[in-house]
Amino acid sequence: MTDPKRIRNFAIISHIDHGKSTLADRFLDLTHAVPEREMREQFLDRMDLERERGITIKAQAVRLRYELDGVEYVLNLIDTPGHVDFTYEVSRALAACEGAILLVDAAQGVEAQTLANFHLAEGAGLAIVPAANKIDLPAADQAEAVRELAELTGQPEDAILRISGKTGAGVEELLRAVIERVPPPAGDAEAPPRALIFDSAHDAYRGVIAYIRMVDGRLPSRSKIRLMAERLDVEAEEVGVFAPDATPVDALGVGEVGYLVTGVKDVRQAKVGDTVTLARPRAAEALPGYREPKPMVWSGLYPVERGDYARLRDALEKLHLSDAALVFEPESSQALGFGFRCGFLGLLHMEIVRERLEREFDLSLIATAPNVSFHVVRGDDVLEVHNPSEMPPPATFDRIEEPTVIATVVAPSEYMGPVMELCQSRRGSMEEMRYLSPERVELHYLLPLGEIIFDFFDQLKSRTRGYASLDYEHRGYEAADLVRVDVLLHGEPVDAFSSVVHREKAQQYGRRMVERLRELIPRQLFDVAIQATIGSRIVARETVKAKRKDVLAKCYGGDITRKRKLLERQKEGKRKMRRVGKVDVPQEAFIAALRVDQGSGT
Amino acid sequence: MNAGVYVHVPFCLTRCGYCDFNAYAGLDHLKAPYVDALVREADLVAPDWHGTPFVSVFLGGGTPTTLPPDALVGLLRVFRERFDIAADAEITVEANPDTVDESYLRALRAAGVTRLSMGAQSFDPGVLRSLERMHGPDAVRRAFAAARRAGFDNVNLDLIYGAHGESVDSWRRTLEETLALGPEHTSAYALTVEPNTMLGRRVAAGEVPAPDPDGQAEMYEAACGVLGGAGYEHYEVSNWARPGRACRHNLGYWERRPYLGLGAGAHSWRRGRRWWNVKPPTAYLAAVGAGRPPIGGEEQLDTEDRDLERLLLGLRVASGVPSSWIPAEVAAEYVGRELARIEGGRFVLAERGMLLASDVVLAASQR
Repeated sequence: MTDPKRIRNFAIISHIDHGKSTLADRFLDLTHAVPEREMREQFLDRMDLERERGITIKAQAVRLRYELDGVEYVLNLIDTPGHVDFTYEVSRALAACEGAILLVDAAQGVEAQTLANFHLAEGAGLAIVPAANKIDLPAADQAEAVRELAELTGQPEDAILRISGKTGAGVEELLRAVIERVPPPAGDAEAPPRALIFDSAHDAYRGVIAYIRMVDGRLPSRSKIRLMAERLDVEAEEVGVFAPDATPVDALGVGEVGYLVTGVKDVRQAKVGDTVTLARPRAAEALPGYREPKPMVWSGLYPVERGDYARLRDALEKLHLSDAALVFEPESSQALGFGFRCGFLGLLHMEIVRERLEREFDLSLIATAPNVSFHVVRGDDVLEVHNPSEMPPPATFDRIEEPTVIATVVAPSEYMGPVMELCQSRRGSMEEMRYLSPERVELHYLLPLGEIIFDFFDQLKSRTRGYASLDYEHRGYEAADLVRVDVLLHGEPVDAFSSVVHREKAQQYGRRMVERLRELIPRQLFDVAIQATIGSRIVARETVKAKRKDVLAKCYGGDITRKRKLLERQKEGKRKMRRVGKVDVPQEAFIAALRVDQGSGT
Repeated sequence: MNAGVYVHVPFCLTRCGYCDFNAYAGLDHLKAPYVDALVREADLVAPDWHGTPFVSVFLGGGTPTTLPPDALVGLLRVFRERFDIAADAEITVEANPDTVDESYLRALRAAGVTRLSMGAQSFDPGVLRSLERMHGPDAVRRAFAAARRAGFDNVNLDLIYGAHGESVDSWRRTLEETLALGPEHTSAYALTVEPNTMLGRRVAAGEVPAPDPDGQAEMYEAACGVLGGAGYEHYEVSNWARPGRACRHNLGYWERRPYLGLGAGAHSWRRGRRWWNVKPPTAYLAAVGAGRPPIGGEEQLDTEDRDLERLLLGLRVASGVPSSWIPAEVAAEYVGRELARIEGGRFVLAERGMLLASDVVLAASQR
């Protein structure tokens, strides 16, 4: 165990692409934490998906040894997820630290995520070490970045470090500043142990591995421990530190950061935010801040091959073991057959789960358009609905409430108009506006979550030539005039196409859906009416005219084989079609009609 | 069982943009060796077909009449020697209007050719240009008159409808012009865009619009009206004939009677087995020259293949299929929409229904 006075626990917080992972790589170099031949770019981003997307999905921790003025320090760098879907995980990672490096790309300046993460870190009482990064870039405006950081943090400009994670310039000075400015952890070494789980991973052989930050006491290997929120007693099969790979130790003491192998098979039993103590003597009180993961975005996942339902169920159960935030329940759709309604932290989380299901489990899936959870309020009863087709009829409730967010947008002031227009078109109301500098403005909007989960970010980027940045935090439920739009094929509602949208946008949504479906539904032997309805009112209608010709023109010369094969292929295509009432709808029509990028936004 | 012989002649004057048959322009130097090879192939396969009665011979292509008349005459003589060809067999030669004159046709008629199938395609000069056909409408009339003078009393005109630039009106005029000549038989095909053709590439590139299926359906119905009104029997999706003049050879394909294919890429069929010759003329010449059967591939049909084939072929013809082959609910759907009728225990497509034959096949063959 290390003397707490020589420990510093810190995170790097920044906007996406401001150089966090590269800086972490330099720290590893400087402290010789990784043998050179094993070093690879963005060492901390371990999942393939993370490296491909250039983001950190799971938090990671690494222990660095660094000597300063003849004293060896243990620096625990806790990497935080870089996406708003994982705000709670970010908050837990920050709760495991005493300080944070606030990193800003000197060519970009302060961005929305910089602001959001800074406020999270400041709220958690962390010491902030601000640094302007990428000073080697020709486009870097060090003076402006330093000015903005000083303004944001309230620190004098000469306290802002100027560094380049790429060249290594200023990185040693930054480590010195971390040691000097971040306080050592404080905890009661004699008290029963308390450790915060700030992340967890699932290992096929060893079960759940909890990433923990010791607060009080001492946690020995092979002790009987208790997970306080779960009220679950298990054996600490192994404790250790990340140096940077998992290295077992006898015990973890006050302020240390490491891991705990519990042997439990399911991450839901060792959730992020929970407190680990000993079974005896047990800590009286858990550490503050534990919260059950709460899915914000829902979507139905269906196997393209109907026979793959059991495989999908098994895959979800396996993923669930390593992803406590993923929830799912069986559901069936007339149009899509048997599948699961799945809840996610956000759209990115949804995409990640879907990609993992397809990649790691070789499944081919149809996903329904994502929606948020609605509250249907009747008197004192609140019914949570997360499938539009389960929305009760309008006359049976008092009101519907939808989740909202406070969105922070940072953009050059010349784009303020387009940003405001976009937010207003998404039913946003401005809460606050502030100039970061004469050229850049910070806007805060209250927006319905349902209005930003589809293409809001893409729209924001395209209206500001890519200059705007976005972050948001959840802000409770608010009543809204929402209606359910159904889509009928030849008189039969297609449950997969139902959507809950704001009344003013209902007709637009209905029109777009029927127009898109008219292109996608193949012609049948009869005219097929495609209608969008709100209750019994038809708001849009199109017709797919009956087909008149479907025959091979020539069939002689003896090459019957080719004709037969042609029909066999068509037969296979027809077999894969889903039947809605009397109408055959190809799989692709569902997939194309449900594509997220054209979702129910504007 | 009565069988047919198909002889493939892969040579053409020019390659038409829509055609995906095994046909080539510019291979004139191969003509003489190719004719020799057909004779050798007949020698090679004749023992296998000993005792099979052949009731039809069909020389198709390509354009058989790009060969000199004595070559065709010689081939027919050889086939008669090698195979058991009935005295009253239907013997058809496909002809391009630009390649035949009266003396050529007289030579064929004298050699026992009973039926001439002429690629007229259209009587509209614009449509002929759109199809990249070299001949004009007058060439068809001249060739047709020459055929009559040469003694042909069984002539087919091939027509294509729905090319870019064709309207229902221009198509009706082509039909009227056809009636004016009074052939015994007419085939009218909807232009189909095949992917591996110049037309297919031009459609894919957006240079030419794809044929409009509704427009083609209207032209099809116009053909049913005009030809039916003039006394032609509509005996297959794309074929009309005066009573008794249906093409016996082509009916053989649809009725799944055996056939022997000779020449590059020709297909053969007998007792549940289908096999086909190698497609490139040079490969065909090499195989036959080495004394090997020029077979490029074969397949044995299983029950499922057989069921699908007899359905897809049977639904094309006016006699239809046994009603037991069509599930009751599928039959009810088509009969209810007047696209088909059940008569004498058979499911028979109406004329409008014939144009949906593939849809019926798919609906009826779903498990």
